[in-house]
Amino acid sequence: MQNDLSYENVTMRFEGRSGAVQALERFDFQVNSSEFLVIVGPSGCGKSTLLHLTAGLYKPPTGRILLGGAEIKEPGPDKAIVFQNFSLFPWKTVHDNIDFGLRINGIPATEREEQIKRVIHLIGLEGFENHYPRQLSGGMQQRVAIARSFVLKPRTLLMDEPFAALDAQNRQIMQEELVRIWQTQRPTVLFITHSVEEAVFLADRVIVMTRRPGRVKEVIDIAQIAGENHWRSDPFDEVIRRADFQDTRSRIWGLVKSEISVRN
Amino acid sequence: MNGAARNNGLARALLGAISIGSVLAAWWLVTSLELVKPLILPPPADVWTGFLDIWHGYLNVPFWNHFLASISVMLGGYAMAIVVGVPLGIFMAWNRVADWVFGPLLQILRPIPPPAWIPLAILWFGIGYAGKIFIVFVAAAVPCILNSYLAIKQTPPELLSSARSLGAKPRTLLFEVAIPSGLPTIMTGLRIALGIAWASIVAAELVVSLAGFGFLIMNGYRNLESNIVFVGMAAVAVLGLLMNVLFVHIERALLPWREDQDNG
Repeated sequence: MQNDLSYENVTMRFEGRSGAVQALERFDFQVNSSEFLVIVGPSGCGKSTLLHLTAGLYKPPTGRILLGGAEIKEPGPDKAIVFQNFSLFPWKTVHDNIDFGLRINGIPATEREEQIKRVIHLIGLEGFENHYPRQLSGGMQQRVAIARSFVLKPRTLLMDEPFAALDAQNRQIMQEELVRIWQTQRPTVLFITHSVEEAVFLADRVIVMTRRPGRVKEVIDIAQIAGENHWRSDPFDEVIRRADFQDTRSRIWGLVKSEISVRN
Repeated sequence: MNGAARNNGLARALLGAISIGSVLAAWWLVTSLELVKPLILPPPADVWTGFLDIWHGYLNVPFWNHFLASISVMLGGYAMAIVVGVPLGIFMAWNRVADWVFGPLLQILRPIPPPAWIPLAILWFGIGYAGKIFIVFVAAAVPCILNSYLAIKQTPPELLSSARSLGAKPRTLLFEVAIPSGLPTIMTGLRIALGIAWASIVAAELVVSLAGFGFLIMNGYRNLESNIVFVGMAAVAVLGLLMNVLFVHIERALLPWREDQDNG
């Protein structure tokens, strides 16, 4: 399979009040094209840092991140990021939030309207075009945030704990929704979560990271376990009853836990 | 519950009316029992005749001349404060060098209360409109600058990151993210500035003027007509209140997306 995104020896440190914090150390990894990659690990292990670096929001002091062979130097719509708190523009309607990226990238108006209509249909929010974010539920807001990135047809979609702010029911619905939306374009996805269950359900591969400074502890090939038709296409509550799902979940949780308990 | 909210509103209005009514009743009682001299506290009836005097042209100057004198100078200085203060505050917040250049200057000038500028304003601009406009400008510019600065500085970082990730360049970030996001805070600054502008025009007129509400108050004082002083003060209060109410309505119309505007 073709390598889409590759990390070469990426290191990142922050200058904090109590000295420098080493967030990432010699992070080396290859992500395949159209792969759904989920990263789990203890809090503060540098998962979010990794995502922000991939988005080009800042540059690693050492090492390189390549997207399609070219080094990532600045943010852009080919590697759009979706945050936990949705980060919609509260002064813009649903329609205008989705339009923002299209407009500033110089897409002609008629094509923009077509695209907006397409993604609004995709996320099932027809009739809410003129609502402001505050008038929508958390789940609906996150759909709009995904649509706002997705409409730009990113090569890579970066998701920083996108469902962490949702309640359990909405989270489950959004996981299934994301799979459906993702399958229409199949960008490469980098998805960060604290929920091992979510990781096992969604991922082609799961990376378990060590505690800070973050490195790859282990990579679990979910696609191999989940069968030819990946279980993420099936309803979540059926999948979690499968024995192989539960085994995989326990195994990954054991790996994460060992990283947490070493520290405490 | 809706009923409880309505009861709260009713209780609030009732207590407010009782509070104002009690003060008026005490005033009427104290003066009609002649417990104090009319010079110290004129009876309500005297204030009413004072009002009629002013309305029909106190000292041959019609009421509307006083109104226009105060309002026009205030609006002139206020408009200048907005035109200079808002862009300056935004510029300082967005550009580090501008912050370093103007920041210390502003910190030194800020503690000077507006009336302390009156002597200089007269020396520099004379006793006509220009001097008073200057005082209003100096007073009202401060909240315009400070709130605009704060508004831009407080732009949620995730909104900026999202916009950059969608492809926004610095110009777009300022004009399409930071400024709209900060608009509520900027508007609050303009509302504070309006109150300060009104207070400072009256203060300036107290010192030097031939018309206006400050002039009325000072003239009543010089002629030992305390009922005229009362009418002048009441006019300042009522007009200040009306301006604030008007401003709040404009603010609501301009910011329909704000969270505190939900009615259902």
